Amino acid sequence: MRYSYGIMDQGKILLYHPQLFLKEDDILILPSEEFQQWHGDLKELIDGLYQINSQSMNKTVEELNLVAGVLGSIVEELEQLFNTVKVSNSHYQYISTMDEDIKKRRENFYSNDMKRCDLRIPVKPEITPALKNLNMMELLEYANQKLSIHRKDFGKFQRKKKE
Amino acid sequence: MRVSEGVPRGRFAELYHPEMFSEGEEVIVFTRDEFNRTYSSLGEQIAHINRTYLRLDRDEDWKLIGYWPRILERVHILDLNMDQIYKNQPLQCYLDAYLYPTIHGSDEPAAVSEKEGISISKVSGFDLL
Repeated sequence: MRYSYGIMDQGKILLYHPQLFLKEDDILILPSEEFQQWHGDLKELIDGLYQINSQSMNKTVEELNLVAGVLGSIVEELEQLFNTVKVSNSHYQYISTMDEDIKKRRENFYSNDMKRCDLRIPVKPEITPALKNLNMMELLEYANQKLSIHRKDFGKFQRKKKE
Repeated sequence: MRVSEGVPRGRFAELYHPEMFSEGEEVIVFTRDEFNRTYSSLGEQIAHINRTYLRLDRDEDWKLIGYWPRILERVHILDLNMDQIYKNQPLQCYLDAYLYPTIHGSDEPAAVSEKEGISISKVSGFDLL
């Protein structure tokens, strides 16, 4: 986002980087110190959300309720931006020093399992005449087995009938 | 926070409400459009998480495993938006913004065919499409 600092000078603002803005742009002017304060407050709340996430692997409804609570305060902060009456507290400023690793997305266990499954799938073999023959022989063997079992059963049945 | 709109005039910027700021005070200046995009994007992400939160049945804890990464996705976008305020780089939320069509049809006749002498009147950009 384009931004520039400036300084108030005789009812006008002297911009440090005037080349960033076009003639027809509308601009918003905010006091830089208070804006940094506001930015820090919001960052603190968002870091809080990451901390809730990193507490444990198993999420419960309680943690979801916590997230909803923090979101409520974020909404409040957002609304405070255009409240001209409220004066921000300049005694405390948050500067985010959170480790970037905490913000990274951890891999889901489900996807890990899926990867393992994918690796076990054998590569599809090329179909050759020899392979076709082999396959046919396997089928024949299977049919033969089934038939022999059937014959045996049929024989027993007939013997019983004779008795 | 004290906020004022204004317009840039060369090296200086003129304020609509100059009485808001004291002499010699340091200020930060954004373009209104870009700030609007970031601000509304923040609001949108929060609304999305809230909707997920309200939709979830409290008795069905096991569903939370599926919803949690989605919530974190939105938190990540929130974080990105906050970081990009102090960067002179394009924003991701530009993509969310509605883009007005920039091609306008002209009222003048676009072309005259020589053989028949009939003017094809009012061929607007949208008709061609």
